[in-house]
Amino acid sequence: MTKPNTGEIDPQESARQELRSYGIGFVASLLLTVGAFAAALSDLPTVWKIIAICAAALLQIVTHMRNFLHLSFSVEQSREDLLLVLFSAMLLAIMAGGTWYIMSDLGGRMHGNSHEDRSTSLP
Amino acid sequence: MSADISPIFGKLDWSVTPYTDLLREVNSSTIVGAGAASVLVLGAIAAVALLTWMRWWGPLYRNWLTSADAKKIGIMYIALALVMMARGIIEGFVIRTHQSTALGTLTQPESGLVSPDHFAQLFSTHGTIMIFFVAMPLLIGLINFVLPQQLGARDMAFPVLNQVSLGLTAAGAGLVMISLLVGKFGTGGWTMYPPYTGIDYSPGEGVDYWLWAILISGVGSTLTGMNFAVTIFKERAPGMHFMRMPLFCWTSLCVAIMLIYAMPALTVSSGMLALDRYAGSHFFTNEAGGNMMNYANIFWMFGHPEVYILILPAFGVFSEISSTFSGKRLYGYTSLVIASMSIAVISFTVWLHHFFTMGQSAGVNIAFGIATMVIGIPTGVKIYDWMATMWRGRIRVTAPIVYLTGFFLLFVIGGLSGIILANPSIDYQVHNSTFLVAHFHNVIIPGVLYGMLAGIHYWFPKAFGFRLDEDWGRRTALLFVGGFVFTFLPLYVLGLMGLPRRSPTFQNPDFMPWMYIASFGAVLMLCALASLAWTFWTSYRNRLALAVPGGDPWNGSSLEWSTPAPVPEWTFPHIPHVAARDDWGECKRSGDPWKAPQDYVDIEMPANTAHGLLIAATASALGFAMVWHIWWLAALSFLAIPALLAWRGMQVIEPRIVPAGEVEEADRRFRTMMADLAPATRADEETERNRGRPDLSEFAG
Repeated sequence: MTKPNTGEIDPQESARQELRSYGIGFVASLLLTVGAFAAALSDLPTVWKIIAICAAALLQIVTHMRNFLHLSFSVEQSREDLLLVLFSAMLLAIMAGGTWYIMSDLGGRMHGNSHEDRSTSLP
Repeated sequence: MSADISPIFGKLDWSVTPYTDLLREVNSSTIVGAGAASVLVLGAIAAVALLTWMRWWGPLYRNWLTSADAKKIGIMYIALALVMMARGIIEGFVIRTHQSTALGTLTQPESGLVSPDHFAQLFSTHGTIMIFFVAMPLLIGLINFVLPQQLGARDMAFPVLNQVSLGLTAAGAGLVMISLLVGKFGTGGWTMYPPYTGIDYSPGEGVDYWLWAILISGVGSTLTGMNFAVTIFKERAPGMHFMRMPLFCWTSLCVAIMLIYAMPALTVSSGMLALDRYAGSHFFTNEAGGNMMNYANIFWMFGHPEVYILILPAFGVFSEISSTFSGKRLYGYTSLVIASMSIAVISFTVWLHHFFTMGQSAGVNIAFGIATMVIGIPTGVKIYDWMATMWRGRIRVTAPIVYLTGFFLLFVIGGLSGIILANPSIDYQVHNSTFLVAHFHNVIIPGVLYGMLAGIHYWFPKAFGFRLDEDWGRRTALLFVGGFVFTFLPLYVLGLMGLPRRSPTFQNPDFMPWMYIASFGAVLMLCALASLAWTFWTSYRNRLALAVPGGDPWNGSSLEWSTPAPVPEWTFPHIPHVAARDDWGECKRSGDPWKAPQDYVDIEMPANTAHGLLIAATASALGFAMVWHIWWLAALSFLAIPALLAWRGMQVIEPRIVPAGEVEEADRRFRTMMADLAPATRADEETERNRGRPDLSEFAG
């Protein structure tokens, strides 16, 4: 039984602060989402679009963790939370990395990036 | 599909029912279709009539549908699963019957009971129902019922969320059921691979039924996973360390973790396919940069953990019953915990073995093939642990033990055929054949189905206060074992002979003997289903003789056996202080376990609410409206869901207080009754003398 770390809303002291934190998180997430859509619809070069969308996505993850999941680097953070975050990161890495591995291999074999490859492999 | 869409009824009109098909053309296929729809309609009418006749609407609403009690929610999940299982097994029977009449010739290739399109709907609904609306509700229901009791908690961490999850699952199941009567279901199999299921090749409502059933129930399952995880982390009784939890709680934790991380992948792949179909996007289309192979990739990122979501609760059940019914302590507790957790993690690294033949290079296949073989190791460890638990135990051959024995024999065969398939070069030979069909039925039926039915048999007295009839329980178990052997082992042979899975017809007469054997097995499966229903009915009729008010009919060792049967809504009069693994067993060893607690306090229980019911209704309306393009209803119900959440969020909700006096009275009554009950020995377990108070001198677990 570890101590709770989510800080239940206490009407006397921290309710205002808690709500403010949730509010900031909500507005920030909204802006980052709108920003990603704006980037996709804009006239920027594709590379910049992708960079902007990825940056917005990463920032949004951080916002969710900070403002909604109450994770921080402070000492009070419980060990269980750290383990859960690391575990999530590992599984997401497996999924994202695995997808990259599989789909890039398939892509390479589908589109065969050079003519030499194709001519040598044919009988 | 006609281009004009009515603003009020969307694409719905009178031509969508199977009856119109029957009027258009009378043949065996349309008769089967109309017959199934009639069974659905008549069943619904009979249920409504029964509820009205018995005046059960009020009690049903007050005591069940609006209850936030995890135990009742669990029972409702299981009831839903059993209803869906009846449909699934009957569909399986029709599939087998069709194939045994499907021998065609080169000039007249198509024959058989149902038309090819109808056959495709049958295997698609069969798979969808069996995985999402039978196996999942069975295990989620069992966990809901058992987990809080084993942890020493009063309820789940989020009781109302639990209700919402049940509502969403039921909404998905309802959509699949409605597809029998209104319109058609998809024909792309339970995985619904694009591009075939894209809007170009499957323009009708069928795939949409699947999509919305999956999207809605998938959200429910994700929420359930979170609920389980938080319950296990935060609601354990004082002293219940992780390494003191019963094994079923451990496997529930694994399931919770996998639900949380795997279900979103399914929601994403289905959501992308829905966008392709509704919004004209190109995630999985042939043209415009779509890549349908990514669907298989994302789907199986969910799909493989799903396999272990299904099997792990059964492993938990087998851990409990192997120990209880052999009167021994569970062998290798720590190794079972480590094995369960390893399975949970490794199951996220093997998903490519579901599409070895999609065209990636050998190196990629080998990497995932090795991971697949590795996951067999912890599973093997478990089998040996259970066998060691039973070794030299005083085994009582109850129905759960029959299931366990069937599981030992058959699951190992299924596991070994899985190891064979894990080798990509062999997989190339037998993929997409009935060898594969035989393999996954060979792990899912002995694993999930036997495990869940054994669990239902084991915990049934805790829920309803009387045991299930052992003779009928054993007959059911044997029929399920025999039915499995006859139905699915021939499919291994047929697969090696070259019969592709899901084929509505074939031209090789050599298949026929095996087809007939498999059909005979399907008849046995139907008998098993009937026998299961009869078990419940005959036990209900003999409930006085089978009653076990003492609550501990099997001389168990985990906390749930310390309470009366049926268990009161507050479960424990006083939250127990846990001092050991198998705490109830330790209490038995140290003298009188049925001591009354020293004081009684008021107990807070979650108040009844219709929240889950309302969410379920709006979610069903949303799904149905989206399937039939009834946009006004879709928009309305889509907005109603956040409105309902906000409405509930703004209300002050008081818990229901059970006064200490009421708890004390009920508990004292239980204690005095316990003192009067005669202890039943092991030999008396199946007789009327077993009133739920076991002979403690025989306890050895």
